[in-house]
This record gives sequence, C-alpha cells and structure tokens, in this order.
Amino acid sequence: MNKQLTIQQPEAEREFSLNLEDLRPRPAEKKTFASYFMPPRHSFILFDPEKCTGCGTCEMICSTRNVGKVAPSSASVKVITDEKQGKNFAILCQHCRKPLCMEACPTRAIEKGNDGIVRISRLFCTDCGLCTMACPEAAPLKAPNNQEIHKCDLCEGEPLCVKYCPEKALTFTRGKAFRWIKGLRWTTQFISFLLLVIVFIGTFCYFKAGSVSLACPTGTLQNIASSGTILLIGGVSSALVLLILTILSGRIFCGWVCPFGFVLDLVDKITPKKFGWPSFLKSRMTKYGVLAGAVGGSYALGFQAFCTICPIGTLCRSYGVQSFFKSAELAIVPALASLEIAQRRSWCRYFCPVGATLGLTATLRLIKIVIGAKRCKKFSCIQCAEVCPVAIIDADQLREGISPKIPMTECIMCMRCIDRCPYDAAKIRFRWQKAVPGENRK
Amino acid sequence: MKNREDKIAEAKRFSGADGCVECGRCVAACPMAEMYTNFSIEMSPRGIIKKTLLGNPVIEDKNIWYCTECNAGTDACPQGVSCRDLIRKLRETAIEENLLENAKTCKCCGSSFVAIPVENFVYGRLKEEPLNVLGVLDICPPCRREIYLLRNA
Repeated sequence: MNKQLTIQQPEAEREFSLNLEDLRPRPAEKKTFASYFMPPRHSFILFDPEKCTGCGTCEMICSTRNVGKVAPSSASVKVITDEKQGKNFAILCQHCRKPLCMEACPTRAIEKGNDGIVRISRLFCTDCGLCTMACPEAAPLKAPNNQEIHKCDLCEGEPLCVKYCPEKALTFTRGKAFRWIKGLRWTTQFISFLLLVIVFIGTFCYFKAGSVSLACPTGTLQNIASSGTILLIGGVSSALVLLILTILSGRIFCGWVCPFGFVLDLVDKITPKKFGWPSFLKSRMTKYGVLAGAVGGSYALGFQAFCTICPIGTLCRSYGVQSFFKSAELAIVPALASLEIAQRRSWCRYFCPVGATLGLTATLRLIKIVIGAKRCKKFSCIQCAEVCPVAIIDADQLREGISPKIPMTECIMCMRCIDRCPYDAAKIRFRWQKAVPGENRK
Repeated sequence: MKNREDKIAEAKRFSGADGCVECGRCVAACPMAEMYTNFSIEMSPRGIIKKTLLGNPVIEDKNIWYCTECNAGTDACPQGVSCRDLIRKLRETAIEENLLENAKTCKCCGSSFVAIPVENFVYGRLKEEPLNVLGVLDICPPCRREIYLLRNA
C-alpha cells in the first residue's frame, strides 16, 4: 500500500532570506588615480592556432596538476580538432574581465583576485557545473567522466601548459602594464587646450604668426560663402593645413587636439549615462546637414553664421584669462557639453560641422583602423566597443567572428581601442593594406 | 523494454537510496537553497529520495528538474547515498518517457543538457549581460566549442 507523503509546503515565497551575498559580499572594485593609467592586471594565456599541432601535451600536463595523474578529461584545457580543415584549437579559460562564471556560481565559490586570476575556492564549490553553463568561451570546467570541476588558475603564475608546449603555441602574458597612448592623448589634449584657449586666444579659428597662418576649414567655407571671395593666401591655404593632417592621419584633430573635445572627455568622466537619444536624432548624417546649413546661412546672412555659436570657437574666444566673464557666449559650451548625459561625444557624433568637414576630407584618408576578429577573444572582452567614444565598433559583428568595418569618416582616431585591446587585435594599417591581424592572407 | 518501476528500482539501487536515514545533511549542503526562493522540502534531495522510496509518482514531478547535479549532497551523506545519481536516473527515465517540458535541448545538436529551472537561474544571474552572450546559453558547451573552433582556427 502506498502511503501518501504529506509534507507542508510554504505557499508564499519567503519574505526575508539571508543568502550568500549578505554573508560574503563581493569586494567592490576600487578605482584609484593610478588605475586610470596603470590598468589592473589581466593575466591570460595567448593561443596561436597556426602553431598548434593538436598533440595534447597541454591537456596531459594540466591533468597531472589537477588530479595527479594523466587524465586529459580532467584537464582545464581542451584541444579540439577539425578533421576536415585540419585545424586544431585549444580552448582554455581567458580569465575574463567580468567573469560570467563568477556571476552564475550559486555558492559564490569563484572569485577574481587582484592579480587578475579567476580562482575557484574548493571550500565552497559543490561541482554543480553552472559555471560551465555560463562560460561563453566554453572553457573546460566540468570533467565529463567524474563530474568534477577543475578551473584553470594559471598555475599561480607559471602555467605548465605554456612550459611544456612543444610547439610554443601557448604564451603566457600579464597584459599591458601601462597605457601609454592614453597618457599621451590626455597630455596632448591638455597642452592643446592650454595653447588654444588660454595662451593664444582664438587660435583655432584664425591664427597668423609671420608667414604661417592657420584657419578653421569650416570657418573658411563659411567665409567664402558669406563674402563671395576666395582668399588663397591666409584663407584656403591656411585651412589646408588641418585638411592635410586629416588626410594623413584621419580625424586626429577631433580626438587629440580639439579643445571642446577635451572638455567633452572631461565632462564624460563625471556624467552618468542615463538618457538615450530619440532614434530620429541618431543620424550621423545630421552633421553634414548642419554644415550645409552653416554654409548656406552664411551666404544668406552675409556673415559667418555658425561661427558665432560654434562651441570650439566660443571656447577659444571667450574662455581665455583676459576675456573671462565677458560675453553671453560663455553659455554655449556648458549647454552643448550637457549633451553628454545622453551619449559620449554626442555633439561630435551627430552635430559638429567642423567634424563634418574633416569627415568629408577623411574619405581621402591614407590610414585605417582594423580589428582582427580572429585574434580577439569575442565573448570575454569587447572592450574596444565599450571604450569607443563615438560607438562605431560593431560588437555584434565582432561576436559573430567577422572583423568589423570601421567607418573612418566617423572615427576620431582617439586610439582607445588600440590602447585597450589586450590581444593586439586592433591596429593602424595603411588604407591599401588588406591584411587583418590574426588572418594570414598572402 | 523495461517499465517505469524497473527503472526507478534500478535508480534506487544505483544511487543507494535505500540507505537513506533522513538525517537532512544533503538539504543543509544543497546549493538550491541559495538559488531558488521557493526552495522547499519537496524540492530538496531528501524530499525526492523519500518520495522515490515511498513509491509516489516522482517522474512527472517538476521538483526533480531543479537540481543542478552537484555533488554536495553525496559528499555530505553519512550513508553514501548519491542524490545526484538518483535524480539523474529519474531525469533519464522522464526523458525516455518523453516528459521533456523541463529539459532544455541544445539548439545545435539537440541533446538535453540542462534543466529549464537551472537555466532560468543562470539567465537571471546574467540578465545584465549583452543578449548575444545569452544566446550562447542556448547551445551546449561541446557545440559552443565547435562553433568557437570554426570561428577562430
């Protein structure tokens, strides 16, 4: 006779429960001044598929450390082979920046140390295997035979698989120690801000010292439209300096020199990104419309219409030491800088006619930025798309394994992607070069 | 062709469930208490073992699908009962009887690699991640590796 099992079951969900998040809270990420230039250590093993022969020495040596015997199923590295193409690939833990396994672990056994190594504490691990589920790289965690979890801990800094790989296909790296492009860019931006805004007032719009003269190309266009005369010396020729710089190296002015861009980058550090633009405003073509409007308006009105409200111009003219608190123009820069609450560099992306002129010039560019999707580790990283201030790197394409095409008319050449990429997948190449990092195209 | 009773009897023998003394150590060690707010004795390994031993209908029960198949209960058990093996056998029986509503199948190869409640927990933990990463969760880890090989090598 079957005795019915009667067990009291709580109907409602528990109102209060103390879980592991309360008992062992995650350490908060500390941001110090030094961490802006000295990134936190991100140790990982780089794998070169060209050199791998699929011998499986890494699996064997890893399992001897994990379980004390040669049992490749218990290894933290897995070599898979494609028989059709004759290719081998080693899959191992990438020690992600934001580990998904750490998020998914129900017992909070996985932690990322200060040295960037993601470890499993055997004290808390229950071998449940949710980390295997969550890992986007499908790194081997759960051994298929005895269901034990073996996590790569980089052998605490001296990985055996790297040491014993006969073809040297695996290399251990501790990441970049210093982001020198970042330091160089901020210094250049600061110096140019100092020169253009504080020292030589109004330098950007028009500057003349002896026979050397510089002029804003957009201002020159408006000048031509309003006055109807083309000044070759001092007008077009001085505007050409910036245009030639753009042809040589892309819109490097926007990312490295522009004083308003520097203000925007600073404002970006303190503004929360809470609002989004309505989609009808999100057209990068708007800035060409603004440029056409500026030129047409100058022709109709007879003076340089846009220059009176140009944020770069007003910043250069009105914010110097001498002319501080002088005019109503002071309000323009904060007003346009407040656009940063929606998206980074909103003004530059959608509206700036100076950027539009440079963007049109950049169609004649000599260099480009390429990101080799084969070399990059798509799921655990995507830092380039995150740091790009004008959001032109397609993260979805990158995750699909396609090298994204970067529109150089939009790229402001800040080189944040190159600086950030830990796998050296983002590179500057000449326009006619076809090779993409990580792909052997002969 | 074995019938259901034989399969359950084999599951009991395989996992040593007959030796259960109902001490409750497996419940104390079970990570499901952390995962689900509606964790109850019905869902706990002890409840499932008791239900199986009493011969109550356990195959149709949704509660066998909450388990993460970890090893904590087996490690804690003084009698050496493997609640993981029991639940795995029960799930196998359920899949053989075509009770598939709680088993998640891989989009590529079609194998049932995780239970839906467990997957929902992982989804809930990772809901702030980009959607493409969550799309990866529909594919079983071996198929993920195959895709990764094709993309990268």
